[in-house]
Amino acid sequence: MAAFLAFSAQAALLAVAVAVFMAFYRIARGPSLPDRVMGLDMIGLMSVSVVALVAIATGQEVLLDAALAMALVSFLGTVAFSRFIERRGRRKE
Amino acid sequence: MNLFALNLVLAFVWALATGSLSEVNLVVGFLVGMAVLHVVGGALGDTRYAVRFFRAVGLAGFFLFELAMSSVRVAIDVLKPEMTMTPAVIAVPLDVRSDAEITLLANLISLTPGTLSLDVAADKSCLYVHAMYGDDPEAVADEIKRSFERRIQAVFR
Amino acid sequence: MSDLIAALALWTGAFFLIVSGLGAVRFPDLFMRMHAGTKAGTLGAGLILLGAAVEFGSVGVATKASLTFAFLLLTAPVAAHVLGRAAYYDGTEIWERTRSDALRGKYDHGWRSDGDDGASPPRPSAAGPNDGGG
Repeated sequence: MAAFLAFSAQAALLAVAVAVFMAFYRIARGPSLPDRVMGLDMIGLMSVSVVALVAIATGQEVLLDAALAMALVSFLGTVAFSRFIERRGRRKE
Repeated sequence: MNLFALNLVLAFVWALATGSLSEVNLVVGFLVGMAVLHVVGGALGDTRYAVRFFRAVGLAGFFLFELAMSSVRVAIDVLKPEMTMTPAVIAVPLDVRSDAEITLLANLISLTPGTLSLDVAADKSCLYVHAMYGDDPEAVADEIKRSFERRIQAVFR
Repeated sequence: MSDLIAALALWTGAFFLIVSGLGAVRFPDLFMRMHAGTKAGTLGAGLILLGAAVEFGSVGVATKASLTFAFLLLTAPVAAHVLGRAAYYDGTEIWERTRSDALRGKYDHGWRSDGDDGASPPRPSAAGPNDGGG
């Protein structure tokens, strides 16, 4: 049973890698700056999952502390970018 | 909600008094503290502390259920070969007034089926929401008011 | 048994993360993509954290995992809300099949005359009686 769990963790890591790749596609493709920021935001969310999955795969529960910190911090970049976009929108007219 | 902080302190004190900081002791201390606060609450300006606490727990449970449902709906939309969504930006009139309530409502809306809060009007009279299925804006607004706003009001008052 | 539950949580979590990625690729405009990113993404990450909590099985890890999930629940909608508003204000294109747009024309672009340095966020005006029904 433990082997099945290890396999599940590996498979989930692969799946999250695919999801991160799709978010990358959105960052590369755009077409607008907010789209790219949204891609970055999603990658932040997915990296929390990646850290949790690595913690399961390696049995290192300390890694969950890193996931906790990332969950707290990852949205700050999105907020900063949003303020930038907002101010840019102001100057338009 | 500062009675809740007091309740946590009471749980801690209970665990200290029983001599071990185990989880069971903390939970029992929390329950005893809740019973005490429910009885004494009138003197502290809150007569129905326990009732409001369990309503908050109910809101949290309902919210997790809604989050699961909304994710399933997004999954169905994503996996469908053709795009059948009818998105719209909708103004939802607000009954809740305080900033805390509006913040909670906006956050809950963003994570529930088919809606994403965009902005609050300058005078806090309505919330602008992007909906995946906005054929009938009034139905969407009614649904939000019925499911969440009423529960939030029940917790805060 | 707990291994089975943990594995199940991992599978469904990974599924929802893939859904959120697919949504980001497939959906036609930013706002709909954000539906996928916030809802399915948050639930996916939460399920994977649940898997970790079940797998390690200790109270400390469970507390940490649920705290992480709570932070995600707090921050994900805030990020989506701030970004969505900024994007709308910036004039991001909205899908042409969008039925109605109650926010159109509600923002006052440009700088106010009263010493406005752009630090306070712009606010839309309230909806009129005709804005509600598409």
